[in-house]
This record gives sequence, C-alpha cells and structure tokens, in this order.
Amino acid sequence: MSTEHGQQLADISGYRVRLDLAYFREADLWVETLAGGRARVGLDPLGAETSGTLAQLALVAVGTAVTRGQPLGSLEAEKFVGPLVTPLSGSVVATNEAVVARPSLVEQDPYGSWLVEIELARVEELDELVSGETVAGYFADRVERYRREGVLAE
Amino acid sequence: MTRVSLPLLPPKPADRQDTTREPSAASQVSPDWVRISGASALALRFRSGRFGRRFDFGGINLLLNYDDGCRSDCAYCGLARTRPGTYEDKSFIRVDWPLVRTDELAERMARYEASLTRLCISMVTHPFAYRDTCDITERIRRAVATPLSILVAPPTLNRRRLERFHELGVDMIGIGLDAVTEELFRSLRSDVPAGGAGLKWDQYWQVVSDARDVFGPWKVNCHTLVGLGESDRDLVEIFVRLRDQEIFSYLFSFNPEPDSRLGEAPRASLRRWRRVQLVKHLVETERYGIEDFRFDDDGSLALLTAAPESLEEVIETGRPFTTDGCPSSGGEPGCTRPYGSYRPSEPFRDFPFDPDPADLAGIRADLALDEITERSRRA
Repeated sequence: MSTEHGQQLADISGYRVRLDLAYFREADLWVETLAGGRARVGLDPLGAETSGTLAQLALVAVGTAVTRGQPLGSLEAEKFVGPLVTPLSGSVVATNEAVVARPSLVEQDPYGSWLVEIELARVEELDELVSGETVAGYFADRVERYRREGVLAE
Repeated sequence: MTRVSLPLLPPKPADRQDTTREPSAASQVSPDWVRISGASALALRFRSGRFGRRFDFGGINLLLNYDDGCRSDCAYCGLARTRPGTYEDKSFIRVDWPLVRTDELAERMARYEASLTRLCISMVTHPFAYRDTCDITERIRRAVATPLSILVAPPTLNRRRLERFHELGVDMIGIGLDAVTEELFRSLRSDVPAGGAGLKWDQYWQVVSDARDVFGPWKVNCHTLVGLGESDRDLVEIFVRLRDQEIFSYLFSFNPEPDSRLGEAPRASLRRWRRVQLVKHLVETERYGIEDFRFDDDGSLALLTAAPESLEEVIETGRPFTTDGCPSSGGEPGCTRPYGSYRPSEPFRDFPFDPDPADLAGIRADLALDEITERSRRA
C-alpha cells in the first residue's frame, strides 16, 4: 500500500484501488465523505472498466432529491446501458459537467472523475457501505467474479 | 437530466494493455491483422465490457484491414473513401472495430470455441482481399471448427474464387447488396464521387447466382438495407426473388454514419421497420407472395391480407424480429450482432435473443397491425 496526496492506494488484482474511500456494492461506485454532511460519488475502476467504452453519461439535475437505490443518472457504453444507482439518500448539490461532456474521463481516471455531490439526508447510510479493512478483500472478490463472468479483458 | 449528444466512440486499441498493437509498425494490415466488431472484442476478452441485457453471444465478425482502406465509396458506409478522416480512424456501423493480430485472434477463438456460434470474415473492395481472405480462412480453420461465413466483396471475385472459399471450409456466403433496386444501387454505390470501384448491380447478381450454385440452397444470403430510399414494394419484390432462389434476405436497418453522404438521412421509423421484418418473415418462411400484400401509390405497405390470428401466431414466436444472421452448427441464430444498428439505449431493432413477453408487447405496439389488416378495413 502507498499513500499519495493523502490517498491510501493499493494494487489489488491489477487495479489501483483507493482504500480510504467507501464502496457501494450494488452499483460499482465509490463514495468520498466530505465535510458538512456531504459526499461525492463516482464510478469505481471496476465499474468503469466493465461498462465498456463509455459513450454517454446522464445525471439528474442539481437540486434533485434522490433515495438510496434509486437512479441518479444513467450511463451508456458501446454495448451497454444502465442506471447509475445512488448509494445515499439526499439532495444532489453538484454534478460534474466535465465528465458529462467527456465520459472517457471516467475511464482514464475513475477516482478523479466524480459524478455527483450529495447533501446527505441519512448519514447512517454511510455505515452500509464497504469501507476500511474490508475494501481490499471486497475488490479482490469482485475482480474474481468479473473474470468468471467474462467481462474483463485478458 | 443533463445530456450531451452521443458521440462516435473514440478509436481504441483492442485490449487495455495494448499488447496486440504495435504503434511503431508501419503497417498493420491483413492478412496478419484484422479488425473485429466491438461485440466480438468483448466475447473474446480483447476488451472489457458487457452487454446491456444478458444473453449468450458467440458470433464473431472480422473485417479485413488495409492502410489504403476500402476502394469503394458507398454513400452510406463509414468506410467510404470520400468520408472525412483517415481510414484507421473511420468507424464502421458507427463504432470503431478494434485491430488485432490474426494469429492471436485464432488463438482466442480456440480458447473460447465452446461458446462460439458463427464466424464471419467481411471482405472489403481491395486488390488483396481475395488472397488475404483465403489466408485468414485457413488460419481460422486450423484453429476451430465453428461454422464460417464470408461476406464477400463481389468486385474481387469470380466463380472459381467462390469455389475456393468452399474448398477451404466456408459454408455460407453473404453478399452485401444493401440497395435493393438497380437505380438505388447505381446512385449510392456505382456512380459515386470517388468512382464505384467496379461495384455494378449486374455483377453483384452474378456473384449471387454463382454463390448459389457453388454453396447450395439456403447457404447464401443477401444483405438488404432498409431506409436507403426504397419502397416497401421494392423490398417485398426482392424478398420474393431471393426466396424463390432459396437465398436468404438478411435485413439491416440503415443507421446514418456521421459525415457520410447519407449522414443526415433519416432512419426508417420503428413502425415501418417492424412491418418490414414481419413481411420478410412471411415471405421467406410462410411462403407469402407479392399478391398477399397491397401497396399504395408510392409503394408503401397498405394492407396485409392474412388473417390477424395467423399473423399473431407468427408474431408470438418472436422470430421475425430476431437478428438475421448465419446459423450456428445446431441451426440456431449464430450471428446476432447485438446493438449493431441502434444504440444500447434505443429499442432493439433486431433482437440478438428471443424477445420476451415485454419485448413482444413493444413489438405489437410498434407494428400497429390493426391499421393494415383486412379486419380493420371491414370494421
């Protein structure tokens, strides 16, 4: 494991993974807790890769109230389309227009390409995310599962 | 929602480690290199990614690759000579086709042979296309036994060359007629800005005839592209003509390639497309003739004389709406080209799997058959 700019990074099954973030199992998303009861959400490296070549991202408008498990947008790739499901309930206070304009940024730098910022309505939902010491194992398991499913390049 | 228009996907090497591509190589051309479809790249794990719906996929499509590209200049094609951009950066059917080493491809085919259903080599109009197609066919045949088709470039062929393909183990031949009338063919493919590269209506039909002789009944298919300006009557006439020769019509839905000469042309509406799918199935499978349809003055389908009950039986199978493609060794759909002529976020133009009940409900709504059946006329 290494630390760069305050980020704890580790190589896990060939992927550079931030261990200091939380992860949402249901939708391949990372969550970064911010000050003031807010959180940023982005597609994690496996989510970005297994979607295929991204073509379009759509995000809800700033001000939209979202509920955990409900769509906060959608992504379309060369052969795939699906909803982006929010890991947290609250109000969307910012969207990253740069990634909407250039979805390939997510593939190039998943951690640097946040999607939305949410003002949390239920802080306790953070406890339901994968975090801390379990992140490494969680990622390794997912890589193995995705390899079995045949959605990762060899 | 904040949205931007869907861009063409950027050219991208075949795998994330970029080990199959040599940026310093002067020339990555066939027969040592080929392009493969995006779906093929996923199926063979050259690229990461998944399909929007879960279904088995094993139809691998290859495309010959040359530095100087295809010699043709078809008005609707992404590879057309006068379409802006370098050949390497040109898309084909709106997405880029990753470039891979032929031998690596054959190795991957062998590795995943159990899941493969059909292979197809698409030629382009080029002086080396025949020679290289033979070479690639031999490499593939040495690696796997999966049924193999060739989508031929008629200007590069004659009967002897078709016989050679047959000897090499190719079992089906496709001919990309695309434009279904002589007039359309001439305007879109022969009389074109960069010259027609020898694409002639009569020559295409000669290759159809030769292929039929060499490969036998229901071993040849003609690609018919819906939305190039033809009428419904034109389509039905060609479906009947091909059916009577025991040749398949494979339907494709025109999807404008940005910056091509037809880049701004509209697609066929989903309603028209669904009706053409149904009509083609009725002609090819249920032996309907031109007399079973009525057309208005501009050739648009106006009336289906069949009883709605019998049409419903056909629709319920879902088969008219699945992808036209060469079969697997077991006779099931083998080449299914998922998302080949529509975006993943759009309705399936053709289904790479059997439509489920929800899909069928959508298909029935698209068809609006009550507008064109006898019963509605009597009511």
